[in-house]
Amino acid sequence: MNHSLRGKYAIVGVGQSPLGKVPELGPIGLFAVAAKNAIEESGLSKADIDGLITRGPDDSYCHHQQVGQALGMNVTFSTSTDNGGASQVLGVAMACMAIDAGLCQAVLVGFGRDTWSRTHRSATAKRQVATRNESQSSREFGPEFGRFGAPVNYAIAARRHMQLYGTKKEQLGAIAVAFRTHATKNPYAFFRDPLTIEEYLNARLIVEPFGLYDCSIFIDGAGAVVVTSAERAKELRKPPAYILGFGFGNRLTGWFEQDNMIATGAKEAGEAAYRMAGIGPKDVDTAQIYDCFTHMVLLQLEDYGFCKKGEGGPFAASGALGVGGALPTNTSGGQLSEGHVEGMLQIVEGVRQVRHEYGPDRQVKDAEIALVTGHGGNTVCQSALILGRGTS
Amino acid sequence: MSEYIKPLPIPSVESKPFWEGCKEHQLLLPRCHRCGSYWFPASATCPKCLSTEWEWSKSSGRGKIYAFGVYHRVYHKGFETDIPYVLAVVQMDEGPRLLSNIVNCAPEELQCDIPVEVIFEDVTEDTTLYKFRLLR
Repeated sequence: MNHSLRGKYAIVGVGQSPLGKVPELGPIGLFAVAAKNAIEESGLSKADIDGLITRGPDDSYCHHQQVGQALGMNVTFSTSTDNGGASQVLGVAMACMAIDAGLCQAVLVGFGRDTWSRTHRSATAKRQVATRNESQSSREFGPEFGRFGAPVNYAIAARRHMQLYGTKKEQLGAIAVAFRTHATKNPYAFFRDPLTIEEYLNARLIVEPFGLYDCSIFIDGAGAVVVTSAERAKELRKPPAYILGFGFGNRLTGWFEQDNMIATGAKEAGEAAYRMAGIGPKDVDTAQIYDCFTHMVLLQLEDYGFCKKGEGGPFAASGALGVGGALPTNTSGGQLSEGHVEGMLQIVEGVRQVRHEYGPDRQVKDAEIALVTGHGGNTVCQSALILGRGTS
Repeated sequence: MSEYIKPLPIPSVESKPFWEGCKEHQLLLPRCHRCGSYWFPASATCPKCLSTEWEWSKSSGRGKIYAFGVYHRVYHKGFETDIPYVLAVVQMDEGPRLLSNIVNCAPEELQCDIPVEVIFEDVTEDTTLYKFRLLR
C-alpha cells in the first residue's frame, strides 16, 4: 500500500443545498447551490476549480457535463462515477489521484438529486421507485417475480443474518432510533421528531422484515465538497479535513452470491483505508455510515471492524451509536432521518465533525478521526474514506 | 383467461435458451465442460475458470431457500392481489442461486435453508415462469 497520499490532500470546503421538499429546483440546480456554498466556504474562487467529479450515469440526473455547464466551468479533469452510493467517496479519492497526477489542482466533488419531487409528482410516480431510467431497469430474473425497489435486497440479507446470528428486528430498530435522535438536533433533517422503538416496530411493513423506518428517505438535496492539496489548504478559510485514507471493495460477483451479503466488500474497503491511514477501527471517533437501510449499517459496523461478524445487532442496541457512545454514528441523522443524497451529505457531516463545528449536543467530543462510508451500485460496491483533523 | 398484467421477462441473447427450457418445463443451468461448475445467469465464459466450453444442463429442480423477503408494499399493480408475496433466493442443489417466488404456502411457513422444488407456470402463450414450492 502506498502511503504517499496520506494527509497530502484535504477537503477545504463543504456545502449543501436546501434539503427536503424543494420542488423549485431540479438535481442540477440543487447541485449548483451546494457547489456555490462549498466553493464560497473554502475561500477559493470559481476560477480556481479545475476539476469536477459527479456521481454519474446510472442515476443520470447529475452528469458532469450538465453540472459543468450550469456552473459555467471549463476544467482540465472531469468525469461522472458509476458506483451507485459508493460513488461520492470514490469521487473524493479520485480527486486526490487526479491532483496527484498533476491533472488539476482543486476539484469539486458532489451530487444532487430531486428524489422527493420526482417520486411525488403523480400517483404513478409515487408507486414507482423512480430513481433510474427505464433503460437501466432489470429486464428479466426480477420484475416478473415482483422484484421491485431496493428494500428487498437488504430485507433478504437481514433475514439471512437473523437466521445465522439471531439478529433481532429490535436491534435494527436501535439503529433507526439512534439516528432519529441525532436528527432532532439537525434543523435541516427531514424527520426531526423523536422515534420510539414501539413506533418503529409498529410501522407499516414494506418488505419484511423491513418496515417503514428501516428505509432511508427520498428527499431533494445536494452536497458538494472541494478537494485540494494540504499545502494550499493552510492558506484557506476553514480548518481542513485531511484525507488520510480511502479504500474500496466491490463484490462484483453479486449481492446474493458467495457470502457477499453477509460479509460485504466493506471489509476490503475498510482494510485498505485503515492501512493507508495507518489506523484501525479503535482510532475512529465518529462514523458516518452509508445507511440506505438499517441493516446495511449493521453489516458495516461488523465489516469495518467495530464489532465481530454476527455481533452487529447487540453492538447497535448497546447505545454505542449515540453522541457520547462508543462510536457516535450518523450524527446528522443519516439518510434514515436527515435524507438520502447517496452519501454526499455524510461526507459533509464527517468534515464538519473533524472541524469541531457543532455545539455539544451534536459535536462528537474531541473528534480527530471520522470514517465515512459509501455503498451502492446495485448493492455490490463499497467505499471508505478516513478524514482527520490532523495530517496523520 | 384474464389479461396477464405482470411484467414478462425480456430474454437476452444469453438467456434465450433458458426461457425456452422453461417452456418445456425444464430448468436449465449452464455447466462448464472444463471445471464442471454450474452458474447462473448464463454468460459466454464460465465465471470460475473462464472456459468458453459449456452446455445447458438440466437441473434437478431442487434446492433450498437461502433467504427471502415478504412484500407488503405494492410496487406494481399486477402484484396487488398477491400481497403478501415471497421473493426468495433459492440455492439450487447444483450450486447456483436463483431469484424467484415461493408459491402455494403462507409466508409464515418459510425459513432459511428449508428444501424447495421448482414448478412451472405457463403465464402466457409464449412465456413460462419458474417458481418454487416447499418440498413436503
